Amino acid sequence: MDKNIKQNNTEDILLSVKNLTVQYTAGGSVIHAVNDVSFDLKKGTTLGLVGETGAGKTTIARAIMRVLPDPPARIMGGEIFLDGEDLLKISEKEMRKIRGNKISMIFQDPMTALNPIFTIGNQIEEVIKLHNEHLSRREIVQKAVEILEMVGIVRDRYHEYPHQFSGGMKQRVIIAMALACNPSLLLADEPTTALDVTIQAQVLDMMTRLKEQYRTSMIMITHDMGIVAEVCDSVAVVYAGEIVEIADKEELFDHPVHPYTVGLFDCIPDIHRKTDMLYTIPGSPPDPSDLPEGCHFSPRCKYASDLCRSRGIPMKEVRPGHFCRCLHCDERLEMVPSRSQICQDDPDTADQERGKNGCDC
Amino acid sequence: MAAIVEVKHLKKYFPTARGLLHAVDDVSFSIEQGRTMGIVGESGCGKSTLGRVIVHLLDSTDGQIIFEGRDITHVKGRELKKVREDMQIIFQDPFSSLNPRMTIRQTISEPLRLSGRFRASEIYDETQKVMETVGIPERLADAYPHELDGGRRQRVGIGRALALNPRFVVCDEPVSALDVSIQAQILNLIKELQRDHGVAFMFITHDLSVVKHISHDICVMYLGQLVETSPSDELFEKPLHPYSKALLSAIPSTDIHHRRERILLKGEVVSPINPSPGCRFALRCPYACERCQEAQILEEIRPNHFAACCRVREINQMEE
Repeated sequence: MDKNIKQNNTEDILLSVKNLTVQYTAGGSVIHAVNDVSFDLKKGTTLGLVGETGAGKTTIARAIMRVLPDPPARIMGGEIFLDGEDLLKISEKEMRKIRGNKISMIFQDPMTALNPIFTIGNQIEEVIKLHNEHLSRREIVQKAVEILEMVGIVRDRYHEYPHQFSGGMKQRVIIAMALACNPSLLLADEPTTALDVTIQAQVLDMMTRLKEQYRTSMIMITHDMGIVAEVCDSVAVVYAGEIVEIADKEELFDHPVHPYTVGLFDCIPDIHRKTDMLYTIPGSPPDPSDLPEGCHFSPRCKYASDLCRSRGIPMKEVRPGHFCRCLHCDERLEMVPSRSQICQDDPDTADQERGKNGCDC
Repeated sequence: MAAIVEVKHLKKYFPTARGLLHAVDDVSFSIEQGRTMGIVGESGCGKSTLGRVIVHLLDSTDGQIIFEGRDITHVKGRELKKVREDMQIIFQDPFSSLNPRMTIRQTISEPLRLSGRFRASEIYDETQKVMETVGIPERLADAYPHELDGGRRQRVGIGRALALNPRFVVCDEPVSALDVSIQAQILNLIKELQRDHGVAFMFITHDLSVVKHISHDICVMYLGQLVETSPSDELFEKPLHPYSKALLSAIPSTDIHHRRERILLKGEVVSPINPSPGCRFALRCPYACERCQEAQILEEIRPNHFAACCRVREINQMEE
């Protein structure tokens, strides 16, 4: 069976997620966390998963890692190919060999991801030991020290406990642990959200450097378009458990098509742009246990028609390599030739100052 | 223009087992009627403490707080209650700052009731007006906080703070717990309220793009001290202090075509317990020299633009 699958994968694709659907059952109601999500990740590149709280970004990552709590979570369907192997079909024992070795994950909160009663050194040693059974104790320690120094933490702090480390340092330790076995795929779930901007800059810089050094592919989960702009090669915008738009970074940033993506860009105050009032997306994200019919974004969308509300919207290639889940994408593509144009057209962002300051987004 | 709030040499120290924690150390600034002062800084720099000391949720250690020309540093009891009608605070976390056992109507009407300004029959109508101002639909009046999403809860928090038409409101990270699409709604609401009611805001945040959008003036704080104060636009165009420069350059920008040079700071924020008298940023500063061992004072480098750095002229000359 593996052979058939391999034919479907081109050489340079590391991870291919196809029609992934995940549901949670809670108190009798079904939460549609991830609905029919498909994407490919090329070797050595970074994909950004962008979306708001509850959009299903973390669930996608956990499904790839197969660490969803079951119950309540249930992978209802789909395939996840890593190097041509379907991760959803292999046994737990085989999956254990893949976790840490081939796929690693960095969690959002560095404060809770480390064990408070073991030293930092101990915890890095454990990772190395688990995945390299042939190494001697001395070799393990030596490797652990190397990894710690690689993320810029001095040898002297090897025997300290997590509470003696600051947030940024803890997150660096976690990144070090994730990279300890040189995985081919790194899942980073909001790795810098809990950190201050100057520390965030340090951590992002380090991640980008290490990623290049080890040729690791990465999925970066974030809600911050700025971080996407800094570290990602391609972007998938997630809304209510679906990918609504996916494209290369340059393409998506210059020509966002889906009304949600456009709204997401416009509602972020931009330090290079002066606006009196921000564009707002009316309403709030839908309840995933009670998703609206048809396009899930339609109740908040000013372009929504009856057709949008009547049926599920298919993904459509609007420009080469640029896919969008919107019935009106063709007309919108004509309407929104570039992002700078949007700022000038949108009546909601109208303000007096723009005249003199221009729009240099 | 008349300053509505003026803070002079304000200090707040917390006693800890290891010594005095200098949370706010000799901070002076003033906020004018109908304007917004943004306070930015990283976690632990004392910006929330500063806000809480000003609205008297914490007592100050030393210094003066002047509100509408009157020294209110030491007001207590009934007088403090009177002052609080004009001076309010909006908290960061809309999930824990509302009483879960009170309906939205009860929460918003409580300050109206306590002020004694209104008759019982008027309170209902007043509450209705407040809810309309902050955009909470009437059908939610009898809902409890857990039935509302984050954005609506924050609207209730804002409504409660603005119920008595205060002239000054401290906003302590009011949007950092919210998603971006909701954040924009709340920021617009705050701007509208300022335009319609002339409220002065002190807006505490760590998010620099938010602060630029909302503030007229900005104070940059580092470890309990102000390192730079400036009109908002000028700070973003031409930051003077090395810390402000690094802070601004660290914001991830959505502009993918014009990559800016990033100033990466080495190290992390040091402890605010018993700090040395010199520049507290010196340990991470790329320009640190011997003179940084001495205390730094805020100096007016350009009109209305102050910075506390002994090499500020040299550094900025150098880069021009």
